[in-house]
Amino acid sequence: MSATRTLRQTLIVCRKELRDSLRDRRALWSILFSVVIGPVLIGFMMNKLADRQRDADLVRIPVVGMHRAPALVNWLNQQGGVHVVEGPVEAERAVREQREAVVVIVPDDFAERFRSSRPAPLQLVADSSRNDVRPSVQRVQILLQQYAAEISSLRLIMRGVSPAAVRPLAVEEIEVSTAQQRAAQILTFIPMFIMVAGFVGGMQIATDSTAGERERGSLEPLLVNPAPRVAFVAGKWMAATLAAIVSVCLTTVLCAQLTRLLRLEDMGIRLEIGPQHVGPILLAVGPMCLFTAALQAAVATLARSFKEAQTYMGVLILGPMLPGVMSALYPIGNAAWTYAIPMLGPYILLTDVLGGRVPDATAFLTSAGTCLLASAILIRITTGLFKSEHIIFGR
Amino acid sequence: MIQIANARKRFGNVTAVDGVSFVAQDGAITGLLGPNGAGKTTTLRMLYAVMKPDSGEVRVDDVDAVATPQVAQARLGVLPDGFGLYPRLTAREHLDYFGALQGIESDRLAKRTEELLDLLDMRAIADRRTAGFSHGERTKVALARALVHDPQNVLLDEPTNGLDVMSTRAVRAIVRRLRDQGRCVLFSSHVMTEVSALCDSIVVITAGRVVAQGTPDELRHQTGCQNLEDAFVALTGLDRGVHE
Repeated sequence: MSATRTLRQTLIVCRKELRDSLRDRRALWSILFSVVIGPVLIGFMMNKLADRQRDADLVRIPVVGMHRAPALVNWLNQQGGVHVVEGPVEAERAVREQREAVVVIVPDDFAERFRSSRPAPLQLVADSSRNDVRPSVQRVQILLQQYAAEISSLRLIMRGVSPAAVRPLAVEEIEVSTAQQRAAQILTFIPMFIMVAGFVGGMQIATDSTAGERERGSLEPLLVNPAPRVAFVAGKWMAATLAAIVSVCLTTVLCAQLTRLLRLEDMGIRLEIGPQHVGPILLAVGPMCLFTAALQAAVATLARSFKEAQTYMGVLILGPMLPGVMSALYPIGNAAWTYAIPMLGPYILLTDVLGGRVPDATAFLTSAGTCLLASAILIRITTGLFKSEHIIFGR
Repeated sequence: MIQIANARKRFGNVTAVDGVSFVAQDGAITGLLGPNGAGKTTTLRMLYAVMKPDSGEVRVDDVDAVATPQVAQARLGVLPDGFGLYPRLTAREHLDYFGALQGIESDRLAKRTEELLDLLDMRAIADRRTAGFSHGERTKVALARALVHDPQNVLLDEPTNGLDVMSTRAVRAIVRRLRDQGRCVLFSSHVMTEVSALCDSIVVITAGRVVAQGTPDELRHQTGCQNLEDAFVALTGLDRGVHE
């Protein structure tokens, strides 16, 4: 009887907090921003990457003094995706002012030295401090080396020497950092953004309904209502958790749309987030939302003011970001114990789910169990704080 | 009926309430009168059970408010110091929230809300958010919220503080009405005229102690002052600073 009454009061508090926060336009915008920023950032980076890849594949080479090396120009034009154009008059200035990525200059004595089999000079004007044009510059360098290698082979054959004799080493470059892998690296941020959305989604209600409620002076009249303190704490926590879960769903939907828009298959990446993933994602992150909302409510209740609570939230948000950042530095294994760590467990589950591996039930249960246990402890602590006159009436 | 006996409350080194005892009867308006910082708000907070006295006893309709605060709170309507409204909720939603927490079922709550909107003449502001409300309008919302569960005992912490004449009169009318319905009304004030205009019984408190209690006539008689304000000054020792 008393338990059902407490539960009813918890739901009343929860409903009021949800209604109140839905009208807090500034808070809604900040939540929307934090939910959207992740997918937008990923989309932007992926787009940039695809652009750069296309730039390197299709290279336009301005050559100053084309007429002095017609054979070279011809050879270049025959290579796939290469287009040779007349170079600008002031080549160095053009590159410095970033009008051109790279310019090849054929000096006056090129033809003469080339004919007499002495090293023929070529100048490659490039700005090595520019990261964005590096693939194009590298492409031109490689093309020129290929041309040189072909010519030297022909000359050796003319002199009756096998080209192999002057190639003591056959170095083959195997490029590890392909565009695919870089894209995959960017996509590893998706789990992190989903976790951050879960954290930020509940933050506003958790702080506004505790530290904010006290600061507005509405906590005292609220506590005059005949309800156990745990009903107030649990109601506020429940509202924050629901908001967090809604944020997680929103970010997931956005990321799903994004992976479809980016045409990842064209880059050779198989990553699709579909309706079948929503359940496992919520199973992975839902318990974390319970935990983060409980943590936020506890910390905000402890804070002396709303401002102070917000400062603490700025520190706490590192929690859901840490596993994502750490995994970029060194791989996190999925040993059984890792699932039992509140932020790490959900992260590993999430990467597994998004990576197409469905973790077994034990992993889900371990993660959810520890999150629930931690939430229960935190709610107990916050309920204790709500009984303290120091906390209720400020210090 | 509200009883408090030998209540003490310390905050660190400061003794805010030092053995306060009095009784507020049903069907009467009791004024808790004292200068700023006398311990009025702390006393009221112990009465409505958000603070526990270090020692002493608090009873609301013979319910022990220290041991069973929630049972006592169900019998209390409270207007705390600084009303504590939610700026994004409407006046009506305030009544809904507190009424629901008090456990009133929705049909009765809706009826009660209509009654209070009429009683406090707040139909025009019922569905507006309280963010832009005037002081008088905020007082009305807080008062309606305190009365939503039709409590037998009503505690008002400086309800007319900063109100204009019309609003003050409205609050007084409601307080008298509650008394006439047989309820126990206890309200605090540091304004003598406020208390003398309204109260059947006055408890004068200063430096955490009750220095006098009785009807306005009894207080005048006790101090030998014709004027209640002079009596108040004499009782609280406020004149010492002036004469010395």
